Amino acid sequence: MVSAKKIALGVVLFIIAIWLYSGVYIVHPNEEGVIRRWGRYYTSKGPGIHYHIPWPVERVDKPPIAKIQKMEIGFRTIRAGPPALYQPHEEEALMLTGDINIVDLWFIVHYRIKDAKAYLFNVRNIKKIIKDAAEAAMRQIIGDRGVDEALTIGKEEIQEAAQKRLQEILDLYESGIHVVTVKLQDVHAPGEVKEAFEGVASAREARERLINEALGKYNTEIPRARGEAERTIREAEAYAVQRVKHSQGEAKRFLDRLRAYRKAKTITKDRLYLETMREILPDIEKVIMAEPREGILKFLNLRGKGLEGSLRGGE
Amino acid sequence: MTTRPSGAAITEIIIVILGLLTLNSALFTVNETNQVVVTQLGKPIEVLKKPGLYIKIPFIQTANKFEDRLLEYEAAPRRCVTKDKKYIFLNNYARWRIVDPLLFMKTVRNESGAHSRLDDVVYAAIREEVGKYNLIDTVRSSDRKILSAEITPEEEEIKREIEKIEVGREKIMKVVTEKSDQMMRQYGIKVIDVRIKRADLPKANTEAVFGRMKAERNRISNRYLSEGEGEKAKILGEMDKELAQIRSEAYRKAQEIKGKADAEATKIYAQAYEQDPDFFNFLKTLETYRETLPKKTLIVVPLDSKFFKYLAPEAPPEKASSKKP
Repeated sequence: MVSAKKIALGVVLFIIAIWLYSGVYIVHPNEEGVIRRWGRYYTSKGPGIHYHIPWPVERVDKPPIAKIQKMEIGFRTIRAGPPALYQPHEEEALMLTGDINIVDLWFIVHYRIKDAKAYLFNVRNIKKIIKDAAEAAMRQIIGDRGVDEALTIGKEEIQEAAQKRLQEILDLYESGIHVVTVKLQDVHAPGEVKEAFEGVASAREARERLINEALGKYNTEIPRARGEAERTIREAEAYAVQRVKHSQGEAKRFLDRLRAYRKAKTITKDRLYLETMREILPDIEKVIMAEPREGILKFLNLRGKGLEGSLRGGE
Repeated sequence: MTTRPSGAAITEIIIVILGLLTLNSALFTVNETNQVVVTQLGKPIEVLKKPGLYIKIPFIQTANKFEDRLLEYEAAPRRCVTKDKKYIFLNNYARWRIVDPLLFMKTVRNESGAHSRLDDVVYAAIREEVGKYNLIDTVRSSDRKILSAEITPEEEEIKREIEKIEVGREKIMKVVTEKSDQMMRQYGIKVIDVRIKRADLPKANTEAVFGRMKAERNRISNRYLSEGEGEKAKILGEMDKELAQIRSEAYRKAQEIKGKADAEATKIYAQAYEQDPDFFNFLKTLETYRETLPKKTLIVVPLDSKFFKYLAPEAPPEKASSKKP
């Protein structure tokens, strides 16, 4: 009997000890300890080891207030990689733009808890609420923008506007969530029209290429032509110098010869004539006649060989 | 198991258990996330919203807990018709709270009851509001100017008169929220926000949109290509013009320089030859012989030429000067 009572007492004490011990809790550096006593908010504790009155009197929740949480919309990361593997979620990703085009848009939301009490007490199923709000916000922003803005020129602005819009919605819900960032990931034209959009990019490249080719040709031809023009002018100048110098030289020579000629006119003239003849005549076939008459010339075989050839041919 | 509890001990245990049960039934908490309606035999007695520990009459009174947080609701995508007779599939959500738990308990009892009411009320409100305006009002929230990377402003002007909105999505949904809220108050529900999560065109329209997008892009591509060709032709034309300019200018200069030199040379020659034109003619003639009579030329030389003056001394001297070759 005694031993049974002792055992019972022991068991009770043990249970009480465990119960008391269950009030010990650790708040990690990125968390906040929120204590409720009888269901009502009582106090908050920073990081460290703390104690609360055990259940059912007090309970503690430790939301990770410093942790930045990530949400993917339009896709899910299956493997962070590399190489990364993503699974598209078209129903989230396809959006109607303000100019009634359709884009396939992936984006992420980074958020953290800015008010632990609000986060814990104001909103049920917070992840779904954030996700729905993010989709609604992004679609509203995209619905006011053109397809080009979503695909290229307006990305920054869209991110900012969507972040602002999402924060407004989450504040309206008093969710205690701070939107750290909204970032567009892969934004492209939907499958069927992707090719046409890529075609634009390659057409733009083709345009650049054509222009560059033409400019390249321009930039080689023009300097070359300038060089050639320069050469033409230099050649003309060379000709000019040569021409003038030659004329001066020849004039000088003539004048010298004239001076000599004037000293003995006939002799010089004859000498010059004979000198020339001596140079020319050895190579020339000559017919010397005492009294050349017009009639005789006609009978001379002046193209001797040619005529012989033709006679022989006539045989 | 060596001893059996005595009768007294059993009584003790029973009393403790009964005591605990009574305590459990008498004490209840209202949590930060809850609100409670206390009923006595099914009849509501009190509504408790403030969190804390409360006491009620055990076994007779019941504490009915209701959510005090923002709650979700999402409708399946449903088709709406706009004023310009276009169809759009809208997938909307609503965010709501139980503000009057007593009324809530009386009318819809629980959340799934609330959902079916929300289904009716929100859809009706959306259908009505969306139907008042053109499709563009459901898509856009403002008349913000749509920027475009590829299309030149003139072209855009021609392309499509961008429809102006009357009110826009933001305002439509605000009205839907207000209307839904009004309707749901009778169930003790406050509708905080109704929002279009997704808006999709029907399949046939989507195809048409894709077709249009493709056509637009192809046109832009073609424009880029012809722009490239045009630009190229322009540059090459410019190049040809400049080449002609450079070449003709060089030719002009060269001719000018040569001409000047020729004139100069002519002047120099003239100045020299003027001194004795006859002698110049003589020299030039000799030079010409040397240059123009090729080898094996057949010439007829009269015996009375100057050259043969000494070969035939009796030749009349007056003929000597008349003929040279």
